[in-house]
Amino acid sequence: MPYHEFDCSKCIPERKMHAVTKGAGEDLTSCLPLGYLNTIPGTISERGCAYCGAKHVIGTPMKDVLHVSHGPVGCTYDTWQTKRYISDNDNFQLKYTFATDVKEKHIVFGAEKMLKENILEAFDAFPHIKRMTIYQTCATALIGDDINAIAGEVMEERPDVDIFVCNSPGFGGPSQSGGHHKINIAWLNQKVGTVEPEITSDYVINYVGEYNIQGDQEVMLDFFKRMGIQVLSTFTGNGKYDDLRAMHRAHLNVLECARSAEYICDELRVRYGIPRLDIDGFGFKALGDSLRKIGLFFGIEDRAEAIIAEETARWQPELDWYKERLMGKRVCLWPGGSKLWHWAHAIQAEMGVNVVSVYTKFGHQGDMEKGVSRCGEGALAIDDPNELEGQEALRNLRPDVIFTGKRPGEVAKKMRVPYLNAHAYHNGPYKGFEGWVRFARDIYNAVYSPMHQLSALDISQDAIPGDTGFMTRRMLSDATLPEAVRNDPSMRPYTGAFDPIAAIRAKTDYPEFPRRSAIEAAE
Amino acid sequence: MAGKEKNVARANYPKLYTSDPLAEVEPELRAKIGEMENYIMKNCLWQFNSRGWDRRTQNAGILGKTAQLLAGEEVETPTPMEKCHWVDAVMLAREFRERCAWLAGMSGDEIRAVIGKLHARIDWLTIDGSLNQELTVQNY
Repeated sequence: MPYHEFDCSKCIPERKMHAVTKGAGEDLTSCLPLGYLNTIPGTISERGCAYCGAKHVIGTPMKDVLHVSHGPVGCTYDTWQTKRYISDNDNFQLKYTFATDVKEKHIVFGAEKMLKENILEAFDAFPHIKRMTIYQTCATALIGDDINAIAGEVMEERPDVDIFVCNSPGFGGPSQSGGHHKINIAWLNQKVGTVEPEITSDYVINYVGEYNIQGDQEVMLDFFKRMGIQVLSTFTGNGKYDDLRAMHRAHLNVLECARSAEYICDELRVRYGIPRLDIDGFGFKALGDSLRKIGLFFGIEDRAEAIIAEETARWQPELDWYKERLMGKRVCLWPGGSKLWHWAHAIQAEMGVNVVSVYTKFGHQGDMEKGVSRCGEGALAIDDPNELEGQEALRNLRPDVIFTGKRPGEVAKKMRVPYLNAHAYHNGPYKGFEGWVRFARDIYNAVYSPMHQLSALDISQDAIPGDTGFMTRRMLSDATLPEAVRNDPSMRPYTGAFDPIAAIRAKTDYPEFPRRSAIEAAE
Repeated sequence: MAGKEKNVARANYPKLYTSDPLAEVEPELRAKIGEMENYIMKNCLWQFNSRGWDRRTQNAGILGKTAQLLAGEEVETPTPMEKCHWVDAVMLAREFRERCAWLAGMSGDEIRAVIGKLHARIDWLTIDGSLNQELTVQNY
């Protein structure tokens, strides 16, 4: 086994089995780090907790809901607004967050009474919102507050409201992934099957494991609408509470982030017989194949092909422009979970970069199996790294850019490695054909940032050139390109809008496809 | 309780291989299968469902149907799940036809034999030889 031992972690020998270097001839039977285990004492993990995984990642992207944390106010604050899962209702769920603000006296005397007061107060403050989620936290779990009982009381007193209770306190698992699992199953057990939807198409899907980061979901919904597919619910980005109660009526579950949402797909398969089709919205080939697969399932592949042809013709010249300039750039792909495999192969094949390392904070070995498979030889795969290991890896690997979260990203910037936000994006959306070009543009802007060039100069030691003008990104990126490439008229940099989501939201001219029943009646 | 017993049974799936089933295959054929394996591992997700028993079903369903498609046989999809397998099989068969020109010169039996070996290799990589310790967890 090609384990990699960090110098900084020699004092924590258990860490050695959490990192591997993929050597020549290695495959998954010889090269896979341990994963999804309790953080080893002595290592400072970058993980979130199970409460965060349930609330921040999965629960709160639901848009028409009062999201209440039953616990100290800090739990709420630290899971608020740090991820840009926007929504088309003026970002209600991003603007407002609610906490019962549990204090020491509540720990001693109980917080149920205060919880009920908070629930009623929140509904009264926002009378147009009739749905609520309540999240258990460590403190209220330990004192045994019965949130379900209080929620039941309120729903009895106010029949027009509906409340979902998520019992996923912070200590409920090794990482945020424990919370993903808990909220998936809790939603299925409590809410799925309690609303009957109106079916408007012959082709009905749930879009699962999609969180509408900077509009990703809206981009994908645009494709589905152009194909005449009814998206019954999105779990959960830009999703509506009552739509998600009707998930049991879909014909197909289309699964994007298997890490956070495969549980509900798998259980919907067992309980309701709805099959699971894994797709991948990142990258021209992966996205095109995903649309084709959905089209094949419903017998409407021609509609997918029309979209792929149109979008590829529009955006391929722009992706190619960036690919020429990003060729061979060394990338550390250090996201939280699923993007290490969503992106690992696609960015190498379609943007020409070289992934020298993947890591995951909360992923399971299954995520690493996908990530390691999709990397090339020499890549370093790390599970649940601590900050010192991250720094050591950056010093040794010398990447040109890193894709990660904002905390390790800031560390990387201080080490003068440009960083892109892999969780909330820089200038997303990154899904869709245009989104993929926007991602390439962000990578280009990071790698060739003149600011980063300047920041590499140490004003306490280096001679600062005072006789040269500022460089531009283009001057840096094109310096070594052959003239034929530099001036190739078939390629161009990004020409899309600053905000592509506004146009999608304003769009009304979707094609209308007659239902099968209408066609059969006509025949 | 019946549900729990079923989960235990499915988690304790039998191992099919105790070593790489392609270890003794001649290098030329091994290289051809390697092309297919590389495509699957870099581009597909269906072989990575979270539990071993589920992977067994996925691999058999999709690669079985891929062999049928490549051999020109009729493929039946009586259940939604088998339809999903067929969808992934169609995509895979198209890629293999495009990338593996040598398939065109093979008979149906030869194709089935090659895909059978590929199936064994994918089972080895993702199930029987896998280092993933979560494959035998009873629940999803």
